[in-house]
Amino acid sequence: MIKRVIDFWLFFRVLVFPGFTFILFFTLFCDWVERKIEARMQNRVGPAVAGPAGILQPLADLIKLLSKEEIVPTNAKKRFFRITPVLAFSIMVFAICFLPIDGSSAISSSGFAGDLIFVMALVTIANFLLFVSGWASSNPYGAIGASRVLTQFLGYDIPLFLLALTPAFLAGNLALSVIALSQYKFIPFIILTPWAFVLFIITLQAELEKDPFDIPHAESEVVGGLETEYGGGRLAFLHLTRDVQIVLGAALVVTFFLGGPYGPVFFGFPEFWYSLWFVLKVLGVVVLTEYITCLFARLRIDQVLTANWRILLPLSIVSLALTIAMVTWVYPLVI
Amino acid sequence: MARKLTVSPMIKRVFSHLFTKPATCKYPFVKAEVPDDFRGKQVFDISLCVSCGLCSRDCPAKAIEMVEVDGKRRPLFHLDLCVFCYQCAESCPRNAIKSSVFFELAVIDKSTLVIKPESSLQNVSGAQ
Amino acid sequence: MPVPDQDSLVSVLQHKIGTVGNILPGQLGKATIQIESALNRKVIQILLENDDGACIIALTGLDLGEKIGLMYHIRTKGLVVTVKTEVSKEDPKIATITDIIPGANFHEREAADLLGVVFEGHPNLSRLVLPEDWPKDLYPLRKDAKLEGVSSKLADSQCNTQPEVKMQQSQTDSRLVNIIVGPQHPALLEPEKFSLKVDGETVMDVEPRIGYVHRGVEKAAEQRTYLQDVYLIERICGICNSCHALTFVGAVEKILKTEVPDRARYIRTIILELNRLHSHLLVLGHAGLEIGYETLFQYMWRDREPIMDLTELLTGNRVISSSMTIGGVRRDLKEEDVPKIKTQLAILRKKMDFYQNLYRNERSLKMRTQNVGILSKDDAIKLCVVGPVARASGVLTDVRKDEPYAAYGEIPFKIITRTEGDTFARLIVRLDEIDESINIIEYTLDNMPSGPYRVRVPRIVVAGEAVNRVEAPRGELFHYVKSNGTAYPERVKVRTPTFANIPAFLKTAIGGSIADVPANFVSLDPCFSCTDR
Repeated sequence: MIKRVIDFWLFFRVLVFPGFTFILFFTLFCDWVERKIEARMQNRVGPAVAGPAGILQPLADLIKLLSKEEIVPTNAKKRFFRITPVLAFSIMVFAICFLPIDGSSAISSSGFAGDLIFVMALVTIANFLLFVSGWASSNPYGAIGASRVLTQFLGYDIPLFLLALTPAFLAGNLALSVIALSQYKFIPFIILTPWAFVLFIITLQAELEKDPFDIPHAESEVVGGLETEYGGGRLAFLHLTRDVQIVLGAALVVTFFLGGPYGPVFFGFPEFWYSLWFVLKVLGVVVLTEYITCLFARLRIDQVLTANWRILLPLSIVSLALTIAMVTWVYPLVI
Repeated sequence: MARKLTVSPMIKRVFSHLFTKPATCKYPFVKAEVPDDFRGKQVFDISLCVSCGLCSRDCPAKAIEMVEVDGKRRPLFHLDLCVFCYQCAESCPRNAIKSSVFFELAVIDKSTLVIKPESSLQNVSGAQ
Repeated sequence: MPVPDQDSLVSVLQHKIGTVGNILPGQLGKATIQIESALNRKVIQILLENDDGACIIALTGLDLGEKIGLMYHIRTKGLVVTVKTEVSKEDPKIATITDIIPGANFHEREAADLLGVVFEGHPNLSRLVLPEDWPKDLYPLRKDAKLEGVSSKLADSQCNTQPEVKMQQSQTDSRLVNIIVGPQHPALLEPEKFSLKVDGETVMDVEPRIGYVHRGVEKAAEQRTYLQDVYLIERICGICNSCHALTFVGAVEKILKTEVPDRARYIRTIILELNRLHSHLLVLGHAGLEIGYETLFQYMWRDREPIMDLTELLTGNRVISSSMTIGGVRRDLKEEDVPKIKTQLAILRKKMDFYQNLYRNERSLKMRTQNVGILSKDDAIKLCVVGPVARASGVLTDVRKDEPYAAYGEIPFKIITRTEGDTFARLIVRLDEIDESINIIEYTLDNMPSGPYRVRVPRIVVAGEAVNRVEAPRGELFHYVKSNGTAYPERVKVRTPTFANIPAFLKTAIGGSIADVPANFVSLDPCFSCTDR
């Protein structure tokens, strides 16, 4: 019977909290926060009708999309067309499950050694599946949008990875839970390496395909991008994938630089407070990325590629070198 | 050549807008204000009409039809064709057509979008 | 700008062309030149030699019974000169002038489409404003055209399965990918089709197809009285509606030789400048949307709302003002409205400081718009572009200074020009024109004369013809009106500024990257309702 109880607990953690259900509703909530903040910064109201202050709007959009007709074009590669949205979404959710949300991650209580690389690889695979979904639509706009997605995320994965090594270097370990815990014991890494934080936010902006790196969603050029042929439930999953990607990116920033879920505990369960701090920190990062989105115009594809290969990649290498130099020589003297 | 480091004014402006009231007017929960001489739905005073038919002749959209009412020719306004230019009000020699501020004319049944030349009391209020 | 030397132009024309044609000074512009149809190229060549900045404004065709009249309206040294010829109806052939003035391309295609004139030597005489499956020998603008039941013939035709009519003799390179922008596309507000042939990311060729919004306004205007026509012409375009109304009304007033009262002229100026303000704010915000700058779009359109409210205050409606009438304006300017206008304009002037600062200091905006879509001054003159697009390339052309109408002759203001000719210059020209418009309105309000705002005119207009030009927000707007002594006009011809500017878009797009196409496109401020009428 004890075995059954343990299984039930794992079941609960993966599917309800802090697993799938929590991530889903948290994604919808982050979507609402994003839209509301963007609207306020543009001096308008944003979602306001569905639920109090419009908080049910993302859920209403999801339900509406699920109730629409799903059409598969005749020339599309049908198996890929049908599977890739759901698969991309589930891989992203799977990746979040490895992050320490309430002090320990959903799947295994302390992760495993090297799960930073595993999570980054999952992100890459999910993005690649998005490319496949656009390519499988057999629509010129879908193909162009998909190829732009591929060019952008493959290019920006490299500086992203290099910058993700910075907290690993500071913590001395590649496990996410250890990185978060060492910030709790010591000091959040944003204070130790602010340059890496800034560069990581910029690279994240490009990975998440937000302004100024918004090209794959440029409606005036490619109509719908890779979403052009999708409708109904599959479009809902594509939108959810994009939203979950934002939450995943923000959660990575929180784990790498802002101390993970750890923070002051006042009373009661530490898990409750850890989840609360996690939620607040992720929302803070989401607001920051949304602020940057509102500031800039969209860059052209060649300007995006220049920014990546000529500016961000050398800067991320320099940042890594600087981190190593600071940690080895400067910080032991100061701290 | 020294370049002045210029900062985009958007940075401060976008941030400060988080704390200002939105510019949206939440119509239809909030009433929309229009000036008094707004060209809304017409108000037809049958007591002043002399059946000259000038309004129907001059209407650019052919939205006014002269019909027989009590043995006299009176104008029937088809509001689904009307462009609200108010040439009819200008052409009328007796000022029988006046404007109102009523503009919410969306209906489900288009056949209700007419102003029939009936007793003047029914049309003066301008509602519905 | 020096006042064009008016009488010397007529004497030059007398001297050079007087032998082969009939010069009628003072008609249809500065002078009308009546010639045989075989001499059109020679006469236009002479006009170009006299002034190498000469441009064609419009090509009016009209049905004269047994003959088809063709009128080339040429703008030279800021004035209009009309070259009148005739061709026979059975064999309407005339030589093309597209090699002398490339900007005449679209005009000749339209005359071929609507009247059946064949221009020999034209590179591509395919359909411009009518659909592909329109019956072949039916020319709508001819008086004997039978147009009943045509729409049922169109609906039954099999055009959807037929391949597109192949545009000219362009060698189709198999490397080139054909990207079709339109007719339904998020970048376009109204439907038009542009087929871009791209090689990688570079645009090699653009084939436009306009005419999706063609409503036959010119033909419809012949079947309504002059008073009804004012409202019809006004609805050619929603954004520049007052300009269309004023151009038509001004042409009719020229035929009637009415003297418009001073107060009416000043009120017309205010309404036109309010129109210009809201149109420029619209396109600047829309430019922000096309380059992905949604924040700029939302801010600009928020600041555009008070202008719409002012228009509503003055004319009774936010968009279609319906305030121009033959003989004056329909509503007077009330004294209590003047302080309201001034307050709103002062607020707008302060907000423009923010936008001036933004356009000059925002890096991502400049990265997208500087040095893209460059239109050189020579190209601008050869393609006969008008409006802010021409002024951004250094061409000094503005109808408000060339031939002042309304009250512009008495109001001091500057014409804004720039020399770079790129997308950034086109946007900055419009941004600076907003400040000038605010100045003009304030001057007009301070110096408003008193008196009547309208005079009565007869309903039946004497026989005659006239042209009129107005500086709409997008450029020079041109109307030609001919009356035949009845209550209905004989011919109304409208040449809108976007119609003249589309060849400029083709020129700026070719050779550039495909990602620049939306930004170039919006900087020429397209309004397709105007283009297609």
